[in-house]
Amino acid sequence: MWQPKMTTPILTKRIPTPPFGDFADRRTISYDEYAKTGGYESLRKALTMPPAEVVSIVKDAQLRGRGGAGFPTGLKWTFLPAPTGPQTERLARGEQRYLAINADESEPGTFKDRLLMDFDPHMMLEGIAICCYACQLDRAFIYIRGEYHHQAAVVENAIKEAYDNGVFGSKGLLKGTDTANADFGNGPFAVECHLHRGAGAYICGEETALLESLEGKRGWPRNKPPFPAIKGLFGKPTIINNVETLAHLPSLIEHGVDWFKALGTESSAGTKLMGVSGHVNRPGVFECDLGIPLRTLVESKDYSQGMRNGKKFKGAIAGGISTGVLSADQFDAPMDFDIGRAYNVLGLGTACPTIFDEDTDMVLVARNIARFFKHESCGQCTPCREGSGWLYQLLCRIEDGDARTKDLDLTLEIATSMGAMPGTTICGLADGNNWAIRTIINKYRDEFEARVRPTYVPVTMSVGAAAR
Amino acid sequence: MPWISKDSANTTIERRDEPYLTEAMIKTARETYLPRYETKQAATLPVLHMIQHTYGWIPHQAIEEVAEFLELTPGTVLDTASFYEEFWLKQKGKHTIAVCRSIACEVCDHAALTNRCREKLNIEIGETTDDGVFTLIELECLGACGGAPAALIDETLHETVTPEQLNALIDGARKNKAH
Repeated sequence: MWQPKMTTPILTKRIPTPPFGDFADRRTISYDEYAKTGGYESLRKALTMPPAEVVSIVKDAQLRGRGGAGFPTGLKWTFLPAPTGPQTERLARGEQRYLAINADESEPGTFKDRLLMDFDPHMMLEGIAICCYACQLDRAFIYIRGEYHHQAAVVENAIKEAYDNGVFGSKGLLKGTDTANADFGNGPFAVECHLHRGAGAYICGEETALLESLEGKRGWPRNKPPFPAIKGLFGKPTIINNVETLAHLPSLIEHGVDWFKALGTESSAGTKLMGVSGHVNRPGVFECDLGIPLRTLVESKDYSQGMRNGKKFKGAIAGGISTGVLSADQFDAPMDFDIGRAYNVLGLGTACPTIFDEDTDMVLVARNIARFFKHESCGQCTPCREGSGWLYQLLCRIEDGDARTKDLDLTLEIATSMGAMPGTTICGLADGNNWAIRTIINKYRDEFEARVRPTYVPVTMSVGAAAR
Repeated sequence: MPWISKDSANTTIERRDEPYLTEAMIKTARETYLPRYETKQAATLPVLHMIQHTYGWIPHQAIEEVAEFLELTPGTVLDTASFYEEFWLKQKGKHTIAVCRSIACEVCDHAALTNRCREKLNIEIGETTDDGVFTLIELECLGACGGAPAALIDETLHETVTPEQLNALIDGARKNKAH
């Protein structure tokens, strides 16, 4: 029996979440309330350390990015070139360094960052301030998706509060701007923080597309290298982190590396926001240790309280549709960063599973996912632009019952070869599309076969078949 | 599908004397947005958001005005504007009803919502009612999968909506027409 190692809520400290609280009690936490409950103390603590020490804490804790790829955050930070001097001199020379916060949460199934922005935006802002100090970044842009109108207003207001209370701006970093860094020979240091709204494009969640969008262009991913840490926003060194990753920083700085590594599993330290959606009794965002079995997440009375209407579990999207599906016999899969290799999915993704009950038509699921990727392909690379469209048409045909067996084979062929990374497309969108369609067809192949008619092949002669 | 090119070069641009990009917008852009970015082009999205929010769509004349203000070519601004789904380059209804059609919502029966709208307003997806009050669209993921099925009416998100609730919301929005 799996037991949680987390005894108190961490990311959801101020956001009532079962089993520690009730969804109904959730409300937006203001600056005053945040500060009264220990908020911004971690930033104060971080400011007493040399920036490099903060980086090494994050590195030692093996905090992995919460945006989907699970890349070690501390390692990402070390890709940055060292600052070329004190901030004032650098800025005078035009050598800015940027932080871009990826709040463009738009992969179907994923709705976890919204929770932090809705109810506890200051936790994210504190994380931003800590990150900017640690990496010596001058300006932070929170790239929030266009559809999050309410969240944009909440975050905008929180940024204003943070400016008024001496976190950001020239009188910022808790009013120690003049002295911050001074102990470590880097001189005065200040951070600016702004909100930048996207406008309804999934691809802008890809890190380089996000930078293009920030620059006021269409969200077309860039070729890498150069990587954003070297040449990012406006050609300057840029770090791109997810909202939840940054929200982990205050508690990590407060409690230290050992505390963090004691949570979760060996390869996936810490807790994670997991948003359960689909056919469950209590959908919503919960905070759990990484490594929680999917079955526990769905069936436990502490979390999703079982399947809706007492139906049986049929499958689940692991974490955002691009990760692919877990079939009924993979219900016990532990939700950690190793799930990809062990259960034949792309990875943990955002750890927001969408649950399907026994009545779900998996052909419909595949068709829906193919439509999403067709709609959201940016159109830059031919394999993805064309392939995603053809996949959708083939799956529509299978769903309508007009397809033949060779269409199913063709679907699989496209889903295996289209824009296979690395090298054939610029970003990973086609790869996500492939994984989703391929895993659904492979794991529910009989359902697809039942929908297609056999291909009629008139056999008139047999060439080369007699060799045996 | 943002790569599909929009109207060709021989489109006549409807014009009016009063500029769409008002003095107040220019002031906001100068004071708030431009200082944030290293290039003027980076303010394109915030400025287009202001226009979209104020007028409900982005007329070509406004694109030209934005281009002039940001010292870009109109083509560059149109290139950006046409990529993003939230920028409407054609006029739409006063209120937009956007039903989410992504996976969690589809398996939780988003079709019931869309069908109720189609019947009630007598329009298909992507169309605007004759009186120009409502536009019905289906969108990909609204980020409300826990509250599926979800619908966005103008800028307000509604979660776990039933067709009856949506019906009432539409009636409510229709009453606001007078504003």
